[in-house]
Amino acid sequence: MSTVALITARGLFGQRRVLILLPLPLLLIGLAAICRAYDVPADQWGAAVIIGLGFAVVLPVVSLIVGTGVLGSEVDDGTLVHILTKPLARRDIILAKYLVAAVASAVTAAVPLFVAGVLADGATFGTALAVAAVVGAFAYSALFVLLSLLTRRPVLLGLVYILVWEGLLGRFLSGTRVLSIEQYVITIADRIAPTTILPTQVGIGTAIVMSAVFVVVCTVVAINRLGSFSLAGETS
Amino acid sequence: MSDTGVIHDIGYQRYEGVRLGRGASFLALYIHGLRAAFGFGRSAKAKIFPWLVAGIMLLVAVILAAVRSQLDQVIFTYVEYDDQMSWLVIFFVAILAPELLSRDIRSGTLPLYFSRPLRAADYVGAKFAAMVTAVWLLLGVPQLIMFLGAAFTTKTGASGVWNEFLDLAPGWGYSLLWALLFSSIGLLVASLTGKRAFAAGGIVAVFLITTPVVGVLSILTSTTANHLAGLASPMTLIAGVGNWISGGDSEMSMPIGRFGPVYAIEAVCLIAACLLLLLARYRKVAAL
Repeated sequence: MSTVALITARGLFGQRRVLILLPLPLLLIGLAAICRAYDVPADQWGAAVIIGLGFAVVLPVVSLIVGTGVLGSEVDDGTLVHILTKPLARRDIILAKYLVAAVASAVTAAVPLFVAGVLADGATFGTALAVAAVVGAFAYSALFVLLSLLTRRPVLLGLVYILVWEGLLGRFLSGTRVLSIEQYVITIADRIAPTTILPTQVGIGTAIVMSAVFVVVCTVVAINRLGSFSLAGETS
Repeated sequence: MSDTGVIHDIGYQRYEGVRLGRGASFLALYIHGLRAAFGFGRSAKAKIFPWLVAGIMLLVAVILAAVRSQLDQVIFTYVEYDDQMSWLVIFFVAILAPELLSRDIRSGTLPLYFSRPLRAADYVGAKFAAMVTAVWLLLGVPQLIMFLGAAFTTKTGASGVWNEFLDLAPGWGYSLLWALLFSSIGLLVASLTGKRAFAAGGIVAVFLITTPVVGVLSILTSTTANHLAGLASPMTLIAGVGNWISGGDSEMSMPIGRFGPVYAIEAVCLIAACLLLLLARYRKVAAL
């Protein structure tokens, strides 16, 4: 299991494309620093930077790239068959890959959010944002790892979830917020360190329970799905 | 044993038909690209995503036309329709640009293309033209539906239809601006990677991360920064250009102050820069 995790981590960080994970967090910190330098009140820029960029873009997009990368690229390249033929339980393969993806996205998203939170309102708020980002990274990664097993176009489907479900429908229809990881993350962050910056739309109980449900259900379905995985030929 | 080689005629048939030149290959690539945009000639799976987007856009247009004709209310003007649908346009670009460029890189068809009398400029031009047409159709056809809904229920006869058309024409122009800018940026990102998934993610990331920058710049204390904020994101850049051309009378859209020309210059430069970078990108493949 640790070997699978090691190979996955090397596949993730050993390539040039890991560099595209850098600009997003840097931009987040940079914008927060600019606002701080110009003495703009935190409750004015907080929503735009922390929610608009941090929770709505950096966290899901990083999780999407990493989460679909750990399994999806192996499915695409056909190297997955080498791992599947080893005497390993499929559960262990999924868990190892999921943990690598979740930890990688959690670090990439939580560090800049912590810095932005410190710049906005102090260390408590920063810690709250970081904790919420870690929870979010685990939930998003579970969803996107599952997607990369369910479809051959996981990134597009993941983008539909981020753009249309959370972005477009979340603004107009209040019902979709119950199934939106972004809202759980915001709620958890606000409950740890209450400020006027973050607007909460769902209850804290819903947020925690639903995050756990996302993690558990998606992982179980992914294990189940890999158990009966068949390597299909190239399709459209 | 002689050293001079002999080429034996083993009876292959020679091609004696007309040899079509660059123009024909340009046209073929253009038509192929446009068909691929909406999944024609591909499997049913390839049609899902483009038609999902197109279906939503058409549905919204039909609803708008129905409301217009029955209740005589204008919810979105033609220009506002483009702005409201921006997320779907981004998604469409993220589907389409990798489909047009990354596929060729991935499957290694580029050396085959460039072994024909096709230049890099032709290839880029044909793909760009196909994509602009596709995005423009995506926006223009729903606008036409809205126009028809309004035109058939007008109460002032031919002059009413003509007035409505005068509203539609700038809307079409605005859609063309969207198509030009989004296609050039999307194609540039897609030409960098052979993996469609990464190209799609990259395109969406480019459009999404620039939006909060605008949000931050527009709440800074300097009015100049507020007026220049829209330059940071393609979507607000287009809105700013539209605002400037229409005379800046729409107070609901973003304030641009007296910097309208700056917006127009940046839009033109951005399109030109993306196309030049695309040409530079394909120069090396063309030399292979």
